[in-house]
Amino acid sequence: MIEFREVSKSFGGVAAVLDFSLAVEKGSLFVLVGPSGSGKSTVMRMINAMVLPDKGEILVGGRDVRQRQPEALRRSIGYVIQSIGLFPHWTAAANILAVPRLLKWSEAQCAARLEALTALLRIDPSLLTRYPAELSGGQQQRISIARALAADPAIVLMDEPFSSLDPVSRAALQEELRALHARSGKTIVFVTHDMGEALGLATHMGVMKDGRLIQKGAPEAILENPAESFVRDFLGGHALELRALDVMKVRTLVKCGRGDAGEAISADASLKAALSRMLATRHSSLPVVDESGQRIGKIELNDIVTRRHGR
Amino acid sequence: MLSGLGIAAVTLGSFVTFAPNRLAAGAPYYLWEAPLAPAASATGALCGLALLSFVQKAGARAVAAVILSAMLLWAGLAGAGGLAAHLMESAPRAARVSPGPAFWLLSGVALFAAAHAAQRGSFSLLTRAVIGAALGAGFFLMAAAGQFDNLSIAREFAHHSSAFASALLRHIALAGAAVLLALTAGAPLTVLILKKTAAAGPVFAALGVIQSMPSIALFGVLIAPLSKLSESLPLLHDLGIGGTGPAPAVLALTLYALLPLVRGFYTGFSQVSLGVKEAAAGIGFGGWRMLLDVELPLALPALLSGLRVVTVQAIGLAAVAALIGAGGLGTFIFQGIGQYALDLVLIGAIPIILLALLVNLVFELLLRAARRHL
Repeated sequence: MIEFREVSKSFGGVAAVLDFSLAVEKGSLFVLVGPSGSGKSTVMRMINAMVLPDKGEILVGGRDVRQRQPEALRRSIGYVIQSIGLFPHWTAAANILAVPRLLKWSEAQCAARLEALTALLRIDPSLLTRYPAELSGGQQQRISIARALAADPAIVLMDEPFSSLDPVSRAALQEELRALHARSGKTIVFVTHDMGEALGLATHMGVMKDGRLIQKGAPEAILENPAESFVRDFLGGHALELRALDVMKVRTLVKCGRGDAGEAISADASLKAALSRMLATRHSSLPVVDESGQRIGKIELNDIVTRRHGR
Repeated sequence: MLSGLGIAAVTLGSFVTFAPNRLAAGAPYYLWEAPLAPAASATGALCGLALLSFVQKAGARAVAAVILSAMLLWAGLAGAGGLAAHLMESAPRAARVSPGPAFWLLSGVALFAAAHAAQRGSFSLLTRAVIGAALGAGFFLMAAAGQFDNLSIAREFAHHSSAFASALLRHIALAGAAVLLALTAGAPLTVLILKKTAAAGPVFAALGVIQSMPSIALFGVLIAPLSKLSESLPLLHDLGIGGTGPAPAVLALTLYALLPLVRGFYTGFSQVSLGVKEAAAGIGFGGWRMLLDVELPLALPALLSGLRVVTVQAIGLAAVAALIGAGGLGTFIFQGIGQYALDLVLIGAIPIILLALLVNLVFELLLRAARRHL
């Protein structure tokens, strides 16, 4: 869906992106993670031609971005930024419909789309007539995501969209984004410097440092095998093991048996959730159920521990 | 405090002065020599204002203060007119009755008290406009009824009334033309320095030099090149553009307007949030759409502020244009100074002040509208 071929870009003689090659597959939620100044935002901004590469080429849907009219390209790609960037002089509804109106959709189409989006993102319809200054940060960012999705783009770019939000709104929107991605099958490129956020959201991820892509792959694979000490440190050094518990599912460690008494845990819950439940209930094993609530076995504390240390 | 000042003014200062002719020094007459009704109501209003400071309820106090100051203003006007009529009954035609320091102070106290009350009572802009209009209406009703006919300033006005309307229109035309010209020149200049930031320094430096020239000097400097131009280009001459007259005046006023205008526009556009512009560009707003849908509405308050400064300034400076034969209300001011006729000066100066205040109010209303959601 998106392909970078040996792309380099420098600003005023300072290299921001070096020899960057990457293919993002259709339908993936690709998270680019790295410290500030690692070039991840520049990479993202090259996808919608906000930044043009010095060398190499970038293909979106098989076509070189430089061959497209920039405004047309951008209208076909959703875009959410950290500072939210809603138009303060437009109502929430007008903000959401910015791109459809640029594309000259009919009013009927716009109204239908607005209704679909408010349902999809669980936006309270009474917020639609308000101006951005009258909304909370979390509500603003929700509107901004709705704006990015308004013209039903195949690709959505999100540049640290949740970094300026409070932890509660952030967690809620992360959950919303995961669900949205699962439902819509859109290709999402997400930039963050927060490794926890990256591991929690990504179907695929890439770690960047000093303009280079150091490692890419599924979050689990990167956790298992950090490519170099930088990645290991960035993953959280000693806390890396705890991060892994966040990403790995109970399902991978289920074994036969009934487990101690107590509330059963879902097979799709993280190992961290399971461990937390064990600590809270003072049990060293828990019953495990599948999505339909059917009991499928148990998970033991010892297995969670040896899983990380036994190999 | 304020009403104390008013009372002191009334007891110590002359309310009107009576002079046998325009040039002679006048003899003072006091408020209590005015007809009973206005003199009493003015005194009552003053005392009322003084007592108001003991009223606790802020809302009621503000409303009462506005009513009392209106009473004071109107009573003062009526008293001056009445006293003048009384004095002129047995006086030669050349005699003059002019408002004295007490009258001006009393009117000042009334206007200030009204403005202060409106501020304290946080009256809406509309209410303030209505109060202002009501005060003005009272004045015009009395003027129409001939209440002031015997005051020197009114007689002076009657003398010049035919010239007044055209001077007022000319004044508005001079200032308006200058603001429009400055807009036409300032807009591209702003675009230039926004696109090429390197040009901002020199442009502002050049405009700063013009701004720091005294207005009379600038008018003078423009006379020579424009007369040359007019001599060598008959077309310009036929259009009435020459070294003196409205053309150099408008040109000078335009030059003066450029710096504050361009500076206001420049800051206005540079202050538009980068995040909003970034987001707008990122979802496909480009060129004109960006300018019209995003930058212009967000910069509008700053643009209007710049325009307000420039318009008020042009109205004031246009007075000086009379010196080079451009006409306008300044004509009365300079004639008045030349003839040592203070009343004539006021006929030019008061409308200029009122015009500036009116323009200010209009821009204030526009600004409120533009800022509503920002």
